[in-house]
Amino acid sequence: MSARRRWIDIGLTSFTYLVLLVMLAPVLWLVASSLQPNGNLANGEYDLLHPTLDAFGDMWRNIDFERYLANSIVICTGAAALATAFASSAGYALARFRFRGDKAYGLTVIGTQLIPGSLFLLPVFLGFVWLGQNTPVELLDTHIGLILVYTAFFTPLAIYFMRAFFQAIPRELEEAALVDGCTRFGAFVRVVIPNAAPGLLATFVYAFLFAWDELLFATALTEQNAETIPIGIRNFIGNYNEEYDQLMAAGVVSTIPVLIAFFATQRWLVKGLTAGAVKG
Amino acid sequence: MTTKTLKKPVARPVAPPKARPAARGRERFAYWLIAPALAFMVLVHLIPTAAGSFLSLLDLNTFTFQQLFGAPWAGLSNYDSILFDSSNPLHSGFTNAASNTLFYTLVVVAGTLSGGLGIALLMNRAFPGQRVVRTLMLTPWVVPSFVVAVLWEFMWQRDAGIVNKVLVDYTGILGERPTWLLGENTMWAIVIPSIWRGIPFAMLIFLAGLQAIPRELHEAAALDGAGTWRRFRYITLPLLRPLLAIQLLFGVIYSAYQFTIPFVMLGSNPGPSADLMMTLVMRQSFSNNLFGYGAAVSTLLMLAMLVWVGIWYAAFRRDFAEASA
Repeated sequence: MSARRRWIDIGLTSFTYLVLLVMLAPVLWLVASSLQPNGNLANGEYDLLHPTLDAFGDMWRNIDFERYLANSIVICTGAAALATAFASSAGYALARFRFRGDKAYGLTVIGTQLIPGSLFLLPVFLGFVWLGQNTPVELLDTHIGLILVYTAFFTPLAIYFMRAFFQAIPRELEEAALVDGCTRFGAFVRVVIPNAAPGLLATFVYAFLFAWDELLFATALTEQNAETIPIGIRNFIGNYNEEYDQLMAAGVVSTIPVLIAFFATQRWLVKGLTAGAVKG
Repeated sequence: MTTKTLKKPVARPVAPPKARPAARGRERFAYWLIAPALAFMVLVHLIPTAAGSFLSLLDLNTFTFQQLFGAPWAGLSNYDSILFDSSNPLHSGFTNAASNTLFYTLVVVAGTLSGGLGIALLMNRAFPGQRVVRTLMLTPWVVPSFVVAVLWEFMWQRDAGIVNKVLVDYTGILGERPTWLLGENTMWAIVIPSIWRGIPFAMLIFLAGLQAIPRELHEAAALDGAGTWRRFRYITLPLLRPLLAIQLLFGVIYSAYQFTIPFVMLGSNPGPSADLMMTLVMRQSFSNNLFGYGAAVSTLLMLAMLVWVGIWYAAFRRDFAEASA
C-alpha cells in the first residue's frame, strides 16, 4: 500500500512538472526564437546551440523601440500610481464608511466594467480633440492624455482590491489614532496606508500590467508622440512582416519589464489578488 | 476610556433625517475620499458612454462626420438594420461576429476555468518545489496579450511554425499540415492562446480557494468512506462555487470584449471565422467610418452583457447572500 502510494506521488509530481513545461513552452520558444538568425526562422530551421543577439540589435536599429519603451514606462507608471492613489481612498471609503449612495456608487464602479471600450472611445477622442482646439489642454497624443484615461480604466477593480485589504486591517488602529488627536485624514494617511502597503503594491502592479497591455485606446489616442509598445509592435508587423527574429526580440523586450515587475512583487501580488478574490 | 466609547463610530440606519454632527462629518469625509475616483469615472466612463449611446441613434458616416452630434437623426434605424434587415450586408456581418463571439467566449471561459481548476488540484499537494512551480506557472499570464498574439502567429505558421512541426514532423499525430491562419481554423488560432494565457490566473484563484478548505473536512469524509470523487463533488466543488462564480462573471465579459489577440494576430479584418464583435466594431467605425453603426453594435454588446449579469445574478445570488450582509 505505501509503496503504491509512493509511486502515485512520484507520478503526480512528474505530471505536475510536465504540465509546467507545456505551459512554459511557448515562452521558452519566444526566447529561443529571438536568439536565432533570421535566415533560419523563415525556413523553419533552428540552431539552438548557437544563439545570437543579432535580432535585438537589428530590431533596435529598425524601429524606434526605445521611444515606445520609454512612453510605455512613463504612461503605465503614471497611470498605475494615480489609479492606486484614487483606489485606496475610494476603497477606504467603501470599506469603513456608510454614506448616502454608497451601494449605488459601489455598483456603478463595477458597472463600468460592462462598458465596451468601443462605445466610449470615439467620444473620448472627440473630447480630446475639442479640448485641444478650444483650450490650452493638450491631451491627444500626449503622455498625460493616456495616463488620465488609463487611470480611469484601472481604478474600478483596484477599488475592490483595496477595499478587501482595508477590511482586513483592524478598526482599532484608526480609533487609537483618532483618540490620540489625529484627524480622520491623518489617521488614514499615517496609520491605515502604511498598514496596507502590500495591498498598495499589489494594486500598483495590477494596474501597471493591465495598462502595459492596452491597445484599443492607445491606437485611437496617439499619433507619433505618445505611442506605446503595442502600437510599436503593430507598426513593426506592418513594415517588417517577415523578420520574425526581430519580432520575437521585440516580444522579449516588451515582456521583460512586466516580468521583472511581477516576479519582484509576486509575493504581495499573489496575496493581494487571492485575498480580494477569496473574500469575494 | 470614556472618550474612546464616545468617539466610537456609531452604526446608523441609512440617511436619517437629522444626522448627528459626528456622523455627518464622517459622511462628508467619505465623499471626499471617493471624489477623485468618482470624477474620473464620470468624465471618462459615464459621460462618454452616454454620448456613445446617443451617437448610435444618428446617421453618422463619412459624409456626416463633420456635423457630429448634429448628424441626421436616425432613431432606431441603425439597430433595425443590424438586427432585422437581412438584405443589409452589415446585418450578416453582425450575426456572424455575434455567433463567433459567443463560441469564442464559451470555449475560452470553459477551457480557462477547467484547465485552471485541474492544475490547481494538481498543485494542491505537497511536492518538492511547490512554491517555485506555482510562481513559474503564472508566467503566461504576465506575457502581454499583444506579445501572445505575435508569438502564436509565428508558432501557427503552416510550414515554418513549431505547432505543425510538432504535430506533423516530430510526432506524426496529423498526416497533413493544417493551415491555422486562414479559413476555419483561425477561430482555434485565437481560442488556444487565449486559454493558455487565462489558465494561470484561474489556477491561482482556485489554488487559494483549495488551500482555504480545512483538511479536517476531507479527513472526516474519508473516514466516513467517501472516495476521492465524492469528496471533490460534495466538499471541494461547493466550497469553490463563489470563486467559480466570480471568475465566470468577469471571464465572460473579458472574453466577449476581446480585441487585442485577433487584431494583432490576424489584422483589422480577421476573416469570417475569427471576426469578433470588437474587431467588427473597430473596423466598421474606424476603417469604414460607420460610426453610428459601430456605436449601435457596441450598445447592443453592452446590453447583452447586462443580460448576462442578470442571468449570473439569478444563478449565483445565494452564494453571495451572507457575504454582502
